[in-house]
Amino acid sequence: MKLLTIDDSRTIRRVISGIGAMVGFEVLEAENGDAGIKVLENQGEEVALILLDWNMPGMNGLEVLKLIKADPRWAHIPVMMVTTEGEKDYIIRAIQAGAIHYQTKPFTQEEMATRIMEALGMGGL
Amino acid sequence: MSEPNATEMMNRLLNGLRLAVTEMMTAMAMSEVVFAGQESCDAFSLSSEVVGLVRLDGQLHGMVGVACSKDLLREIVSRIVGLAPADLIMEDLLDGAAELANMVCGGMKTKAQIGNVNLSPPVSIVGQEYIAQWKTNRPTTVFTFQMDEGVLRVYASL
Repeated sequence: MKLLTIDDSRTIRRVISGIGAMVGFEVLEAENGDAGIKVLENQGEEVALILLDWNMPGMNGLEVLKLIKADPRWAHIPVMMVTTEGEKDYIIRAIQAGAIHYQTKPFTQEEMATRIMEALGMGGL
Repeated sequence: MSEPNATEMMNRLLNGLRLAVTEMMTAMAMSEVVFAGQESCDAFSLSSEVVGLVRLDGQLHGMVGVACSKDLLREIVSRIVGLAPADLIMEDLLDGAAELANMVCGGMKTKAQIGNVNLSPPVSIVGQEYIAQWKTNRPTTVFTFQMDEGVLRVYASL
């Protein structure tokens, strides 16, 4: 099982990759929505969880989320938003579009690791 | 509940900004940061080796900049991503400066809870011998934070 992080910040992608490795998952990285969709087209069957930024060049995270949830190949993959946007309105829109978790930046390694395990139905650490 | 006026929005954002810097450094960089003072100046002008800038628009317009030395940024990014400072390349520093500004402004906005304020994609500058200036008729608040490895300053014109 692999995780997919879609985030335009290489800093955040590296942080998530490190945390993913810490809890035993390989992490695939994509720097925008289009790149993320390509990863899903090539390796979607292996992806157990998508961690998705909101503000990115090109498609924003909400648009990517709607694309993912509209495609029967990937609609079952849980999506966690990982974003600096922490206002209620953003959270509600993401949950309505199908996100199962919403993690604001900044986060601690422990918080993110716990969220990943919860999103995968494996309970907290 | 009534809508906050411009002064109240500005105060909420400045308070949120100050808290967001401490939270970001503690959570992401696992670094202790001490608030070392606040001042007001007429111009929004930055010349540190490293700057991350985010523009605000919507209910309130403004600019926020995070500034420090290249060595301090290298140390902060190193702690965030878990790589040795010497292993970081310029792209890491540029992205790190942008992401620091992005996270600080996101935290500020969330804590202020004032509704419709949008953040621009961050701009990062890493270099020497430059001055980044934003023309505004509003004063700039400068927060200074002391870390073991140096000083981090956050500029806000709102």
